[in-house]
Amino acid sequence: MTSPYKRIIGLTVLTFILAMVPLIVKSPYYMHLLIMVGMNAMLAMTFILMLRAGLISLGIAAFWGIGAYVSALLALRLDLSFWMAMPLSAIITGAVALCIGCVLVKNPGFGFIIETVVLGEIAVLAFAHLPLFGGYKGIVSIPPVDPIHIPFLFSIEFVSKTASYYLILFLFLLVAIGYSAFYSAWTGRAWLAIGLNPRLAESKGVNIYRYRLLAFVVGSAGAGLAGSFYAHYYGAIAPTTFNVFKTIYIHIFAILGGVGFPVLGPIIGAFIMILVPEVLRVAKEIEPIITGLLLILLVLFLPQGLLSLLSRRKKNARPVG
Amino acid sequence: MLSLAGQLIIEGLGIGLVYVLLAAGLVLILNIPRVFFIAYGQFYMLGAYILWGGTVLFKLPFFISLILSILATGILGAISYRLIFYYIQNVRDNFLPIIVAAMGLMMIMQQGALLVFGTSSHGMQSEFPGLIEFGDIIVSVEKLVLIILALLVTGILYVLLQKTKIGRAMRAVSFRADISSLQGINPTLVYMVTMGVGCALSGFAGGIMAPVYAVSPDMGGIILTVLLVIMLGGMGSMLGAVLGGLILGLTLSFGHYFIGADLAQIALFLVIGIILFFKPGGLLGNPGEDLSS
Amino acid sequence: MLKVNKLTKHFGGLVAVNEVDLHIDSSEIVGLIGPNGAGKSTLFNLINGFLKPTSGEVFFEGMDITGFKAHDVSHLGIDQSFQASTLFQRLSVLDNVFIGYHMRYKTKYWKRLLRTPSALKEERAFRKDALEILTFMGLQKLRDEQAENLSHGHQKILGVCMALATKPKLLLLDEPVAGMSPTETETMIELIRKIQEKGLTIVVVEHDMKVIMSLCDRIVVLNYGRKLMEGSPNEVLKSDEVIEAYLGKAEI
Repeated sequence: MTSPYKRIIGLTVLTFILAMVPLIVKSPYYMHLLIMVGMNAMLAMTFILMLRAGLISLGIAAFWGIGAYVSALLALRLDLSFWMAMPLSAIITGAVALCIGCVLVKNPGFGFIIETVVLGEIAVLAFAHLPLFGGYKGIVSIPPVDPIHIPFLFSIEFVSKTASYYLILFLFLLVAIGYSAFYSAWTGRAWLAIGLNPRLAESKGVNIYRYRLLAFVVGSAGAGLAGSFYAHYYGAIAPTTFNVFKTIYIHIFAILGGVGFPVLGPIIGAFIMILVPEVLRVAKEIEPIITGLLLILLVLFLPQGLLSLLSRRKKNARPVG
Repeated sequence: MLSLAGQLIIEGLGIGLVYVLLAAGLVLILNIPRVFFIAYGQFYMLGAYILWGGTVLFKLPFFISLILSILATGILGAISYRLIFYYIQNVRDNFLPIIVAAMGLMMIMQQGALLVFGTSSHGMQSEFPGLIEFGDIIVSVEKLVLIILALLVTGILYVLLQKTKIGRAMRAVSFRADISSLQGINPTLVYMVTMGVGCALSGFAGGIMAPVYAVSPDMGGIILTVLLVIMLGGMGSMLGAVLGGLILGLTLSFGHYFIGADLAQIALFLVIGIILFFKPGGLLGNPGEDLSS
Repeated sequence: MLKVNKLTKHFGGLVAVNEVDLHIDSSEIVGLIGPNGAGKSTLFNLINGFLKPTSGEVFFEGMDITGFKAHDVSHLGIDQSFQASTLFQRLSVLDNVFIGYHMRYKTKYWKRLLRTPSALKEERAFRKDALEILTFMGLQKLRDEQAENLSHGHQKILGVCMALATKPKLLLLDEPVAGMSPTETETMIELIRKIQEKGLTIVVVEHDMKVIMSLCDRIVVLNYGRKLMEGSPNEVLKSDEVIEAYLGKAEI
């Protein structure tokens, strides 16, 4: 377990590097891709958080969607600004996760995965069929992120990609710091213990049900936050965006980077998966096939992810199991 | 009134039995090699495409194409075990890697089908036209053939699992792989056979459904319904898969008639929700039984 | 201290534990022996809450704990080390022991999350205590090693350390010396004695009769899920019933 001080230093360095990026990248298109990297890295962090507690969720995209829809509806129907809608949507998503999680988390393992797949499907069906959510066309003309005005000092308008980049960087760090707080507190150790050996953890007095539920709720709230950003950044959302395939990509981002690296892994994974195909101009048709092959090869030859290459060298080659 | 009920029951049996087969195959794969095989739906799609290709493109007889579907999907399933999952299975904490590898396989097969066959769906003419009347109940021959074939395969599967040596080995391995390997059972072979049988069931289901629905690359989405059936029946139970499939089929057919397709979907979720509320592990499953550990 | 009344557990048609009565007094070491499949581990799992008994009762310090969940039983002061070396393989030795302190946090949850001084102080105290346990058991030098890199003997000792961390009153040891070399076994026997001297009550399941003989005040013999007999080590050794159960009728 890394010490909290190392974590703080690491996060500071990372923030500094990421904050410098807009000085180098000028193309709005690439800025847009980087924004997507940030948002997807947030979702991948959520996956890793739940994985620590031994929960493999295939329903992350559904909670991302709940966050997006709730935020959009709050903004459109109740005229709330983004800055109100965003935290509220995270809280509401967390509350929904609490209600659903009470039942789901009881049955970990295959049962949980199946239930989250089904949950994801029900969510997409609900978005598509309930009139409140606008049917298959989804919700359009969601107001963009409201500008911040601080009288006499400055005002920020979220029109340019660069401003949106800093916003997603802020949200990413918020979630990263939030999750890291859990990891370095007692909870993190309990989650790790549950993920490694639930029976043993239980015999040492860890209430595995409660800790798993906590992971599910916290992770879902994080996903809801990402969803809120997505809705206001794009301005339009549609139900099929939030299906199980999206969750599979979220898994890929996390695993490619390495699930042992809860903050850096998702960034690296999402960065590679989103930018490399664009740069190499891989045809859209064969991209999923290459991704699929890559996944299988990754699992067979580098199950701990790309970042494990670096850390393994440091620790004198230990067999990866 | 009675004839209407009979009609709807036959309709429900038709869909239900297909789901029984699909769920039974996936239950085998989940319980014996313990692979969360999310690419399962793509084998259903592959089976359907092979049948469509065989009968429409190469003008083969229906049953020859069906056998080809079964063989191709079964062999591909067994090979996929030997080439991929075999290497991950004995690794510690193999739960996530197995799912991820299955996702990879799913993406390859899904996109491969899109590239080869295109996005459009292909309908095909019914191989068994005509209607049969039993008193007031009118049934299409096609549906009857489907029901008979599905029942036949269910019977074969039962005999395979209960009466044959490989079936006994499969059950032994699902119980304790380490001990059964001491008794001269080769677990790798058993796992390969199980994957083969499971995938062949999926391919067979795809084959017999191909004339009923149009064949398209997104057929693999059926995995969601199959998982629903398994959730309903209970994770580790074959009989649960049978019950779950039949409940699903009947709910859908009665629902379609009385409240329409959309509401039938919602009714289905309601039925499942109610059952799971009272039996959290599914109808015949044990709640809290963790197959992953 | 622990009292078990007519405890029974069925697995399908199989009766794993059949109407077993058991009482264990404070600070004694009781041995639980019996042939393979006699129901010893099942009995442990019924006491510590992993399994729910079909019928019967379990009392701990006068309180009915029948059917309690494992983490609740752990809170009350019963903990165990497992048959195989069951550890958190990828955590360090110290972190493994740390898990046992889980239920003893006094500071509020949000304070721990925000790492306020009082929470940090408490964590330091636990760390000191965990190190004391490791020192007591002779593992202090290995505290930063990953658990999976320890030798088999050290892993089993770590299992006992983890159990001690929950500060149990009653310690259940499931085959503590299985697979150990003679010298490792000696060390383990010494350690178990030292633990008893600290005032803990211990129940040991073990196949190695030498260990049972040298440690236990009293022995309970199980066979086919039933209690065959109970008595001092010498009584048990001389009993024909026990010899028969172990060696089979053919020998007599």
